[in-house]
Amino acid sequence: MDHAEDRLLLRSQLSDMAQLPCWIGSLASRHGIPKSTEFAINLCLEEAVSNIILHGYGDGVEGSVIVRFTMQQPDLFTFVIEDDARRFDPLDRPLLDSGRTVRVGGQGIHFLREFAEDLKYEVTATGNRLRIVFSAANSAT
Amino acid sequence: MGITTEELAGGITKVILDGRLDIENSPAVDTRMKAIADGGNSVLVDMQNVSFLGSMGLRALVAPALAIRGRGGKMVLFGPNDLVARVLRVSGIETMIPVHHEMQNALDALQ
Repeated sequence: MDHAEDRLLLRSQLSDMAQLPCWIGSLASRHGIPKSTEFAINLCLEEAVSNIILHGYGDGVEGSVIVRFTMQQPDLFTFVIEDDARRFDPLDRPLLDSGRTVRVGGQGIHFLREFAEDLKYEVTATGNRLRIVFSAANSAT
Repeated sequence: MGITTEELAGGITKVILDGRLDIENSPAVDTRMKAIADGGNSVLVDMQNVSFLGSMGLRALVAPALAIRGRGGKMVLFGPNDLVARVLRVSGIETMIPVHHEMQNALDALQ
């Protein structure tokens, strides 16, 4: 079966995030995504989606998060995350300083920059769109 | 996520984590680690079987480490795989909680 695009629809509840690892695992299996890249995808999507639920929507606000996967080239894996939450640019955050003052909060944005090949944020008519590209070539440790 | 403990010689508590330290499992780990941190001053967290570590999982490690250190104790991490080790490195957590890949070195660090 040829899947040109895969998508996962989540409610704005942290409990729905339990679907992510299995969905990503299924994509990895079908598309030959290396383990290190699969790890990076899990890491970045967990950060990005949890931020949308916790900060974009906030407590008790009903909404949805759609994650779409496409693969235009054999070793580039693109995920687009869309929501209807208030405007929140996850890339508009400073990098951790090189002196590495350790903060446990705020690590998510740092992980996105470190583990993804490319990031792009856009405002949509109803919310936010974050595109994250992973490269099989650059996900190794 | 499996969490088991072992008491080693020298008053060292070994915590063995097995599974994903992700947003789903981290709250349970957090609760258990806090209890362990309350009771021990020398803690070795065996991460050989941790297959994933996200930022929520990091919190579950940092909080007990700070509590233990605040009492003059020590906590170390042992045996993360390369991917988990990269998360620890990139986050800077390894500057706060020592990471060892040889068990004897981890045990020595707790003396």
